[in-house]
Amino acid sequence: MTKLSRRQFTTLLGGAAAGALAAPYLAFGANPKVVVIGGGAGGATAARYLAKDSKGAINVTLVEPNKRYYTCFFSNLYLGGLRDYASIGHSYERLAIEHGINVVHDWAINVDGDRKTVSLGSGASLSYDKLVLSPGIDMKYDSVPGYSVEAQNRMPHGWKSGTQVQLIKAQVEAMPTGGTFVMVPPPNPYRCPPGPYERISMIAHVLSQKNPTAKIIVLDPKPKFSKQALFMEGWEEYYPGMVEWIDPGVHGGILNVNPDTLEIETDLDTFEADAVSVIPAQKAGAIAMAAGVTEGDWAPIIPASMQSKADEDIYVLGDASVASSMPKSGFSANSQAKVAANHIRGALTGSRVFDARFANTCWSLIAPDNGVKVGARYSAGAEKIDVVDKFISATGETADLRKSTFEESEGWYKAITADMFS
Amino acid sequence: MRKHLATFVSIFVLLVGTVMAADGDVEYGEYLSSECVSCHLLSGEEHGIPSIIGMDEASFLALMQSYRNKERENPTMQTIAGALDEEQLSALANYFSTLSSE
Repeated sequence: MTKLSRRQFTTLLGGAAAGALAAPYLAFGANPKVVVIGGGAGGATAARYLAKDSKGAINVTLVEPNKRYYTCFFSNLYLGGLRDYASIGHSYERLAIEHGINVVHDWAINVDGDRKTVSLGSGASLSYDKLVLSPGIDMKYDSVPGYSVEAQNRMPHGWKSGTQVQLIKAQVEAMPTGGTFVMVPPPNPYRCPPGPYERISMIAHVLSQKNPTAKIIVLDPKPKFSKQALFMEGWEEYYPGMVEWIDPGVHGGILNVNPDTLEIETDLDTFEADAVSVIPAQKAGAIAMAAGVTEGDWAPIIPASMQSKADEDIYVLGDASVASSMPKSGFSANSQAKVAANHIRGALTGSRVFDARFANTCWSLIAPDNGVKVGARYSAGAEKIDVVDKFISATGETADLRKSTFEESEGWYKAITADMFS
Repeated sequence: MRKHLATFVSIFVLLVGTVMAADGDVEYGEYLSSECVSCHLLSGEEHGIPSIIGMDEASFLALMQSYRNKERENPTMQTIAGALDEEQLSALANYFSTLSSE
């Protein structure tokens, strides 16, 4: 870090008077402080870009309880036996050592927007000039009757990666011959729209190898879902007769799930399962609620900067934000983080602020070497993030194209995790 | 297809590449590039996605033009290239030409 003498600093100020007016933090001499809460695709990217691009002119603190980060994206490939668990784990080491980010492994439990402080579970507190909230999701356990945090061991959601996903894999592999796996997907809006259906594909892949007479029943609260035609086509082709997706118009809604008996009661029938995954409805991570930036379950933002509509010194990224038309995805969060980092750096150091640019692509794997994708480019509208252009894989594509789409997703995984952690 | 593309690229480089001066705004290019590096590794390694690190400006511009014209097929790249104007393409081309693989 370069230290300026008082004289150099004064000269700099004189030379950049206009910039200094726009960036009042320069006038105090001390480095401005940014606290980032949440070390996932939004938070890790924001912290890394702020530290890297400000070249030490901003003190960046990253608050993340986990010492190792297991990505949600590609956790389905682990379920499908196509990746080992270690390969989706990432360390914060380089953010600390290469980029000088103060990585604090703790829970942020409260935000005082007036005093601009964050209190931590350990009792310590951090002050900030700008705060980035990227806490991801929390589960609304009671959105599914009978489900609870206690029930998640018997009916894992696996929607935050980690041990919950390891549990699903173990439970699927322990199913008796010809047994039944039942999934209850979440209602909109939720993290990773095609994720539940990629999970079905990967579980079907495992069962087709190890337990080919097993059945998968999907009791969906939604009448349609992301990439539906692509998944339906793939399930028919690769796992004929194994996957039964049931429309809510047919099953009539989930009346109860019983974690002791693994029974799922609907208007249509009571389904008896050997393994179950219940993915409940979701909401912004608790710290976004505590910070007072949410309306209902999510935090509204200003599209041009990702600033909270409730507090201009707080930026909200990723799943916790209302970034529609962008989906809640790791790719979206990573894209939003760069817009926010550029805006924050401009506000704190007077650096150039460029127009917001957003993009998303979601790859899904239907079977080994059969990848599909959906994506879009977006621009910041006055009220929401608008779609500029979009694309989706077509049904009936060649095996070569599907294979190259899968290989592309592997390249993306390497690149986005480098963009977050390297 | 590949040969066709190579011919196209070289003609494009001859006709247009030489006209485009190396005057793209590198700082703007670096900002814009943050979108590219979500998929294209900055290390220059290739894993299912080609490297664009250190690519010369004329080739970069020709490639992006071929995605804009939908002569190259990847829909992700067509969408991205279609949303970049001449100034932005020039800034990106200049920026990536300044990088080198690890």
